[in-house]
Formats: sequence, C-alpha cells, structure tokens
Amino acid sequence: MTPTVFVLAASVVFGVGVWGLLIAEHLLRKLLALNVMGSSVFIIMLVVAGSGTAGPDPVAQALILTGIVIAVAATAFALALMVSIYRETGRASITEKDDDDR
Amino acid sequence: MSVDLLIDGLLGLGMIVLALQVVSERTVLRSIILFVVFGLVMALAWTRLQAPDLALAEAAIGAGVTGALMMMAWRRLLIINPEHSADTPRGRSAVAIPVALLSTALVATIGLSALNIEPHIDTAGRVALDEMTDTGLGNPVTGVLLLFRNLDTLLEMAVLLIALLGARAISAPARPEEAAVVETTTPLVGALLATLVPLSILIATHLLLAGTNEPGGAFQAGAVLAAGGVALVLTARLQPAKRPGLATQLAVTAGLLAFVGIGVGIMAFGETLLALPGTWAVYLIETAMMVSIGLTLALLFAGAPALVGRRA
Repeated sequence: MTPTVFVLAASVVFGVGVWGLLIAEHLLRKLLALNVMGSSVFIIMLVVAGSGTAGPDPVAQALILTGIVIAVAATAFALALMVSIYRETGRASITEKDDDDR
Repeated sequence: MSVDLLIDGLLGLGMIVLALQVVSERTVLRSIILFVVFGLVMALAWTRLQAPDLALAEAAIGAGVTGALMMMAWRRLLIINPEHSADTPRGRSAVAIPVALLSTALVATIGLSALNIEPHIDTAGRVALDEMTDTGLGNPVTGVLLLFRNLDTLLEMAVLLIALLGARAISAPARPEEAAVVETTTPLVGALLATLVPLSILIATHLLLAGTNEPGGAFQAGAVLAAGGVALVLTARLQPAKRPGLATQLAVTAGLLAFVGIGVGIMAFGETLLALPGTWAVYLIETAMMVSIGLTLALLFAGAPALVGRRA
C-alpha cells in the first residue's frame, strides 16, 4: 500500500511543481518549483524500481543519491545566474518582452 | 496495517500541501522556508520507503544545503537593491492549470502502471546485492556508488566542481560583509560555534565511517561538514577571500584526484579502469570526497573562491 500512496502523492506534487514553474515570475520561485518536481521524480523512481527483501533497489538508491547531489549543484549554479541577472537588469524575472528586445 | 496507511497518507498529504504553499506563498522568503519543511517531510517519506540513505541525504542536502543556498541568494538580492524587495506579483498563465493536471495524470499513470509490472529476477540491483558479500562492504548503496557504478560517482564529483567553477566564473566574489549575518561580537556566538562546529565534524566522520556498513556515506558526511562551514561563514569566523590558495585548490579537487589517481593507477597492476583494490581504497576515496563536497558546498554558499579565517 505504501508505494501506491507515495506514487499518487508524488504525482500530485509533480503537477504542483509544473504549475508553480509556469505561474512563478520570480526566478527563485521557479527554482523552488523545479526542486519540488525533482523530489517527486526521485520518489517515483525509487518506487518504480521495485524492492526486494533487503529494502529498495540499491542501484536506484545510488542513482537517486547522485541525482540529489547534482540537483543541489545545478541549483547553486542557477542561483548564481539569477543573482547576475538581477545585478544586470534589476529584475529577478525573465519575461517574453526580454525575447522581443533582442 | 491501517496505522501504516494513516502515516503514509498524512505524509503524502503533507508533501502536497507544502508543495502547494511553496509555489503559491506571497513572499519568496516564506516559500524558501516552506521548501525546507517540504524537504524534511520528504526525508520522512524516504524512511517510510525504507531508504534511510536517501532520508539522510534529503535532510542534509535537499532540505539543508539547498535551503541555505536559496536564503543566501535571497539575501544577495536584498543587498544589491534594498528598496525593491524583489517580490513580484504572481504571473498568470492560462495553460498552467491544464498542463499541471495533465502532467499529474501522466505521472500517476506511469507510476501506477509500473507498480503492476511483474518484478524481474535479474535486475542490476539484485546482482549488486548478490555480489555485496565479496566486497567487505555492508551497505549496498555505498557498494553501488563506490564499486559497481563508480564512474557515475566520479563524474558526479566533476559536476560539483564544474558548478563551483561556473558560479565563480559568472559572478564577482562576495564582499566579506556580504556573507555574515550575525554580529560577530555577540558573546554567545563563540560558545555556540564551539559546540556546533566540532559536532558537525564528529557527525560527518561518523556518517562517513558508518556509511560502509550502515546508512550514510561521503555525500551525507560532506553536507554535514558544509553545515559547519556555513555556520562559520554566517558568523564571519570564515571570510570570503579573493584568490584560492593551494590548500583550497587541493581540498576542492581532492575527491576527483583520489578517485582518478586510484582508479587509473590500478591499471598499472593489470586491473581494469576504476576497479578499486579494496576497502582501504573505498575509505580513502570517500574521505577525500567528503572534504571536497563539504568545501565545495561551503564555497558555493559563501559565493567566494576561497575562505580565510578572520584575523582577530
């Protein structure tokens, strides 16, 4: 029962993350939404990989552990980009207008 | 049985409600704080799914370090422009809700249908578990990370280093006063640090050593070590420096150097690439990785290429 409950919850969390990513204007909030989506994907990865008698699949666990660390590295780099954008433009958001101006 | 279901249901519900609040809170700061709470609930979910290694990593890295990085970035925005708190009103996208509903349905379908697939007998995980007895390691996750799929782990260290180099390349080093938030003369700060910092080193060492047989490992240990570094940066005991010295350069690359050094050096003895020769190599590489991860995360937090102790 546990896996089913978490698959369902993680699916909703993924949807919430997508929604947040689309409606957020502030880049920091977009990053938060991306991280939320990432977490739900990790949960589903672990459940889908299946489990034996000694707990969940160790290869899946190792891949997710790698994923968590890569996610924090990518987030740190994205935050540095955001601060640079803010320093340049005075705004922590990217709108369609930015594309038109180019 | 029904108690289990109740706990799982509450955790799942907590994840959903917190995720909703993270993306819809009015102020960004509240979103960040709630994201940390979300990470801690995630850590509980991992324990329910019987993955304590992931619970430790989620609590230390997913909630702890990510939250600290987010808050520091938020603070930088305020320092650049104190007037405009960078709180923009939430935008509207007509497609947001339909897209979110469709992706929820898609993900749920994939997840639920995967649950009904007959489990394979000879998965990589099963093979790894069977091979574990020959390795002398008790924790299968550490075994996979350091022995069976160590090319992934090696490249992961490279990704961390590249993230640090990239962040340094695109932004100017932080000014010394930018990182510290605590009045450095407050009398209790010294006493707090005297407890926190040795404790973080102790816990990190324990996680590292325990990681070969029990839940834990270099990544969790490195994150705990980074937490000690973050405390020192916040209280200005460690201050951003302009140029990294040789010690910093060595410490940041120690994990990669040890990994590549042993992994390639072993080829001179006729072994295959990255076939680690024994438990001592695992311990050595994990220690080097812990130092690199801890320092890299602390440097990313401080926004500086190096940290130096404050001259009293």
